[in-house]
Amino acid sequence: MTVLELREVKRHFGGVKAVDGVSLKVASGQVTGLIGPNGSGKSTLVNLIAGVLAVGEGDITLDGKSLIKLTADEVARCGVARTFQNIRLLPEASVLDNVVIGFYRHERSPLYASLLGLPSSRRETRELREQGRALLARFGLAEYEQVPAGGLAYGYQRRVEMARAVASAPQVLLLDEPVAGMNDVEARSLGQIFAQLAREGMAVLVIEHNTRFVAELCSQVHVLDGGRLIAHGSPQEVMRDPAVVAAYLGG
Amino acid sequence: MMEFLRANQPVFDFFLLTLGFAYSQQVVLRAGVFSLASAAFSCLGAYGCAYLVVKAGLPVAAGIGLGALIGGLASYLVSLPLARLRGVYQAIATLALVELMVALALYAEPITGGAVGFNNIPKHVGTTELLIAVLVVIYLLHAQSISRIGRGFDALRQDEYVAASLGVSSRREHTLAFISSGLIGGLFGALQSMYAYNVEPNQYGFGYMVTTLAAIVLGGRRSLLGPILGSAIMILLPEVARPLAEYRQIVVGVILMIVVVLTPQGLADTFLAWLQHRRARDLAPMATQPPGGRA
Amino acid sequence: MLAQQILNGLISGAIYALFALGFNLIFGVQKVLNLAHGAIFMSGAFIAYYGVIGGLPLGLALLIAMVSCGCVSVLLDRFGFQLLRKYSHADAEFGAMVISIGAGQVLTSLAQKASDTKVLSFPFGTFPVEFFRGLGLRISLLQITIALLVVVLVALLAYFLQRTSFGRQVRAVAINPRASALLGINSRSVFSITFFIAGAMAAIAGVMIALSFNSIQFMMGEPYMLKAFVVVVLGGLGNLAGAVVASLLLGVAQAMAAAYLPPGMADILIFATLFVVLIFKPNGLFGGGLAPAGVGRQ
Repeated sequence: MTVLELREVKRHFGGVKAVDGVSLKVASGQVTGLIGPNGSGKSTLVNLIAGVLAVGEGDITLDGKSLIKLTADEVARCGVARTFQNIRLLPEASVLDNVVIGFYRHERSPLYASLLGLPSSRRETRELREQGRALLARFGLAEYEQVPAGGLAYGYQRRVEMARAVASAPQVLLLDEPVAGMNDVEARSLGQIFAQLAREGMAVLVIEHNTRFVAELCSQVHVLDGGRLIAHGSPQEVMRDPAVVAAYLGG
Repeated sequence: MMEFLRANQPVFDFFLLTLGFAYSQQVVLRAGVFSLASAAFSCLGAYGCAYLVVKAGLPVAAGIGLGALIGGLASYLVSLPLARLRGVYQAIATLALVELMVALALYAEPITGGAVGFNNIPKHVGTTELLIAVLVVIYLLHAQSISRIGRGFDALRQDEYVAASLGVSSRREHTLAFISSGLIGGLFGALQSMYAYNVEPNQYGFGYMVTTLAAIVLGGRRSLLGPILGSAIMILLPEVARPLAEYRQIVVGVILMIVVVLTPQGLADTFLAWLQHRRARDLAPMATQPPGGRA
Repeated sequence: MLAQQILNGLISGAIYALFALGFNLIFGVQKVLNLAHGAIFMSGAFIAYYGVIGGLPLGLALLIAMVSCGCVSVLLDRFGFQLLRKYSHADAEFGAMVISIGAGQVLTSLAQKASDTKVLSFPFGTFPVEFFRGLGLRISLLQITIALLVVVLVALLAYFLQRTSFGRQVRAVAINPRASALLGINSRSVFSITFFIAGAMAAIAGVMIALSFNSIQFMMGEPYMLKAFVVVVLGGLGNLAGAVVASLLLGVAQAMAAAYLPPGMADILIFATLFVVLIFKPNGLFGGGLAPAGVGRQ
């Protein structure tokens, strides 16, 4: 059982209270949703968890271990994977290479083996490429293995980013607007993958605009507005909450 | 045939040395570090080796090995403060280091011979040694590039934030890149001192930087083939274009500018990428259409 | 004696300022390091030299040098830096540096050919040699002229940037190129103008140095290029006022070092200082401008 917990997390930028006292839990075995109107602080929150932004006040823990003093790569090595709102793939690298780099934190070859090109290091590289291919097949990307990632269509790029995040076998998966710009068919198939990952033991947090997608997929939903949580509960409860309706329709 | 080879041996040797320096410069650029400092590491390797062999009487192999290690140690020390900088700030800092090294070499006359240089070094290194060194370096760099280290370098060079989100530590990888650069630079600096009869400070200044950068620009920052192609062009140009030999510098400058504007990634890298692209297009012509139509 | 050193140092500092301001202006607006700036500085001296040799009065030769170098600078921008803008940031940064190195090489080699690798001097009488004494100090007519010229040029530049509408456009592009484009500012003409001004100022600086030491040679730009780095980093990359102050400081420091320290030591101290300042205060002694940090939490 993995738990990512935020406790009264605050971050201000000058006078702007981007995140103003947010507390929530993301547990394994289910998909948790985070929704909110534009500017509510969703992306700031993801960046605070992932180690890109410094936390002003409060704490963020993964199974009790505090993450707020760790740099982004250290947070990643603790088992937190994330996707980016504007897809960030390695543009020059092939699709397969983009996924293989996802295995980075699990690679076991010692430094000297890598430096000297010892057979053990070469073998591990071969095995990783095989595992990468298997992952590509799972995401329906098998035939695009050699394509430079920068040349793929948007929907495919999203999948590559997903495959890469899954490759890192994280305990926590932060998905920043994973289905933005996708049609229903694509979104649904991606959603099934998230659900499967959650069932396999990952703690999945989906930050999204597409409220229908979130309602279908998530068992727990939190609503953010102006840096504060205004509602949380099951999708049905949250969608009926007048405060939530007001936040989306109002200001 | 043998006559041809013998007549052109000095050119080939010069090519091998240039190639070594180019690899030393490339390895840091490969990892996304904007460093031009390999001239400084070569300078240390050259003077270190010359001093140890000529003045301290060490055997040549030891001198060369120690020259490489001195370069590696210096690069490690330098990587610590440089880790805080990025982009042009890093570039300027490394330029400062190179100039500092040249200034120190000019100043420390008792050890280095000052502006006149370290002269009358017996020639201990020839084509065979240079070739062996180059082949070993190519093997090691290749091993590095297909391993976890190389993957980390490529990721950092293309997008540091993505790399961090996957657990790649820029501090660790950049340090590794610097040390590699220092070891290779120091090695070839030492080899040059044992080959060329003398070492003087301006060998490792602006001219070194221009030549190695040209080799990398022409060839590419990423592939191992790049510096080979780039160095070959740089060395062959004055040979092939004899009538232009007088204007070599001008031609080099113009070619550099044209190549970098047309193929900023370098000739070899751009060609390799084009090959990969073509193969991919043949395999997956439908890659530009998402399933279920556009959203 | 000390006061005399300081005076001499301030004058050479003033010349550094002229050189560094152009370099800094380009960096502030385009965020590129124009490593050809030293070669342009040298070209200015060469062009003025050939003008004087050809019978022109110094003032006219200087003017021709200014305009020519300004134009060369603009050409470098139009056919060099501008063409790189379409590539990714890392490629463009690296490419800009390489292009400027290449251009510098071309100019230097042309000068080397033209001068046959010899050191040239202005003919005797190009500039009147007169000295004035006062307050225990000695100052030449040339030094006074330099000081006045630099003060006037810096004032003109400041006026241009602060008070004219075009100057405001330049500042807008420097701060936020994207927003400026949205506001309808033609960034291409802004870039061209800044390159022209930078080139012209470098030419003047080149002529001043050539007159001060009465020597012109094709490599004369390189040490100034390096000193310019020191100045712009100390003053803060993109910070023009800081560059002026740092230039004067550097001029004085160099004069003192030349007088009191063994030869060669001055350069060592200067570059070591540059390195240290970059590590601890990359924004310069006065702050201003942004230096991207690593991937520590922001």
